[in-house]
Amino acid sequence: MSNMEWKDQLEQILGCTTRLFQIKTSEWEDKAAPQATGSAVSPRPGKSAVVYDQLWIVVSSERQKLQVLEIPRKQITEKEEALISWTIVNLKQVKQETAGKGNEASVLLTELGEWIQLELDSGSKGVIVPDHLTIGGKLFSEMVSFLLVSEHVPPNSTYSELEKLLDSFFEEDVLLVPLKTQEWLILAPVSLLSEADNEEREEEEETVDEILFSICSGLHGMLASEWIGECHLAVSQPVTPANSIVETLSLLQETIYLGRKFHVGENIHLPWLLHLERLLNSIPESQRAIYMEQMLNRSDVIIEPEILMTLETFFGLDCNVSETAKKLYIHRNTLLYRLDKLKQETGLDVRVFSDAVLVKIILLLYKVTKRR
Amino acid sequence: MAGVRLEHVYKKYPGSDKASVTDVNLDIKDKEFLVLVGPSGCGKSTTLRMIAGLEEISEGKLFIGERLVNDVAPKDRDIAMVFQSYALYPHMNVYQNMAFGLKLRKFKKADIDKRVREAAKILDIEHLLERKPKALSGGQRQRVALGRAIVREPQVFLMDEPLSNLDAKLRGQMRAEITKLAKRLETTVIYVTHDQVEAMTMGDRIVVMKDGFIQQSASPEELYNHPVNIFVAGFIGSPSMNFIRGTLTDKGGTISFKTTGIDVALPEGRAKIIREKGYVGKEVIMGVRPEDLHDEPVFLEASPATIVTALAEVVENLGYEKNIYLNGLGNETVIGRVDGRSTIKEGTNIKLAIDMNKVHMFDTENELSILLHN
Repeated sequence: MSNMEWKDQLEQILGCTTRLFQIKTSEWEDKAAPQATGSAVSPRPGKSAVVYDQLWIVVSSERQKLQVLEIPRKQITEKEEALISWTIVNLKQVKQETAGKGNEASVLLTELGEWIQLELDSGSKGVIVPDHLTIGGKLFSEMVSFLLVSEHVPPNSTYSELEKLLDSFFEEDVLLVPLKTQEWLILAPVSLLSEADNEEREEEEETVDEILFSICSGLHGMLASEWIGECHLAVSQPVTPANSIVETLSLLQETIYLGRKFHVGENIHLPWLLHLERLLNSIPESQRAIYMEQMLNRSDVIIEPEILMTLETFFGLDCNVSETAKKLYIHRNTLLYRLDKLKQETGLDVRVFSDAVLVKIILLLYKVTKRR
Repeated sequence: MAGVRLEHVYKKYPGSDKASVTDVNLDIKDKEFLVLVGPSGCGKSTTLRMIAGLEEISEGKLFIGERLVNDVAPKDRDIAMVFQSYALYPHMNVYQNMAFGLKLRKFKKADIDKRVREAAKILDIEHLLERKPKALSGGQRQRVALGRAIVREPQVFLMDEPLSNLDAKLRGQMRAEITKLAKRLETTVIYVTHDQVEAMTMGDRIVVMKDGFIQQSASPEELYNHPVNIFVAGFIGSPSMNFIRGTLTDKGGTISFKTTGIDVALPEGRAKIIREKGYVGKEVIMGVRPEDLHDEPVFLEASPATIVTALAEVVENLGYEKNIYLNGLGNETVIGRVDGRSTIKEGTNIKLAIDMNKVHMFDTENELSILLHN
């Protein structure tokens, strides 16, 4: 269970909101040590203190940092406080015992997932992974990161099933980091790129972006048919996870969010293809709506299904008229007729660069303002 | 192999007040090649994805064979899918790509080898087994994707626009090959496409969808010759059927269709239906397929009561035939398809005869065919 899940469940039981955050040990000593119920030196998980009417309980301690759970003091009794502390201590022990029974890597990966989530929640992206969570130093190698988001709630056995599936698929040592109930980070060795590209060909070399896309497509196809069903995948350029895992996950999460928002129906989302979407998403919704109302008031022809499909294909093929006609299986004159009709009705000629940019933006915004 | 049955199936996405798929009832027979066709957003892919298990069914029942599979995971439905993007595994060679699904299902090595080599032989890709996907052409990749499905020997094949990434020539070839393959494997195929040519040439039966509803489910011939409404009539056929708004009048016992530039008589059999259904004096929409406009002298001489004159604005020469964009017939541009040897010139007024035995009449309000018997 991830941090976020047990925190939510605890809130339900207690009937109040709680907060999970990270502080330096020195801060604990300054604020909590005078009132601490145990020794103020190197507080261990389960230790508690009252700070500004809030109860602070140490969840974990690592080097000079503490993970702290904050609960409004008045909301719980002393017995409940003791019970929560006891549970935290014992949960930790259970985890360690499981690790001792040969499942060390998956416990560490779970812990790594929790650590990443916590860092993300606290807004610190450039942090370095603590030594004990680098999975035997593996995170110091360059790796390809995939973020997998399932559309279905997985059964309990999913982690091990997914791990086996990924091992068979990559035929390599892959790290599977559980994040939320339906979200996993997959770290695959960078050698994967050369395996997908190790044949001599006279044609142009594939770029890293192209290789990553084809691996992502293959992985998605495999997961859709051999796992629990539909899912979303995002992939990043190779990175050294020890230095940038939090930043990479943040990018991938944003990519899936933007991909699902602007390109409904697509399941593979690539950060390097969503720059315009990122920019448009930063515009306040009210302004987007006003802009769309003004633009679409010119004419509704732009959102007619036939014109929409024509424009999507036209932009997808870099505004090439011949290629678009070929792809749509229509005569070149028919395509020109459609584009002329659009120009007549809206005054926008997508064969002219500036108009093409405008229409592309209208199409993207239409998807998020008018859909459903 | 098995049939597939959908009973009152709906798909409604959370947060949406409208269903994406509404009350779909289909009984797909064992070994049938069924094509789901319609424009983007009509619900055809969603329907296929519900059959595949990639989308949950909001309401209704889905059976594969006699088994209710609403809550069965995709991998346990005994189906194989081929998608638009070939989604081959780029780091594996062709053999490994085809063997992967069997390996996961713990098949014996010898069985895997036998199935892969047999499928490769059927698809004529035996010589490519050691190659990686990157070293294959588009057509070869599509064959591998098909091979990956074939080796599973599933009860049902599901294909979602599998040819749309191929160029026109290859698409034509693969179309024929998939049809042949389905017959050879004697398997049930459910095939999704937006391309009506694919639908017409491949399907034993075609289901036309729009806005989440089934519009018509029939054989290709039936759909082409007897569309139930304007949508089906316009969707099937390329170039599309022409729709001309006009009025049906009775002049001395002859029923005529009249509008700007057109005053043509209906044959007696059709006139009788118009009278019986009470459409005389009413506005209707006449549907004319481009090939039912004729410029051959023989036809013009034989059908003087159906001749119209129009301006040929554009002539598209496709070699074996010509598409003529006509102005002056009703308020819209009308397209005629004539023989490639026709001498029609752009910018000239031409005479054409409408084959009134083949035209369709539609109600202006509910858009249903008037001439089809209820």
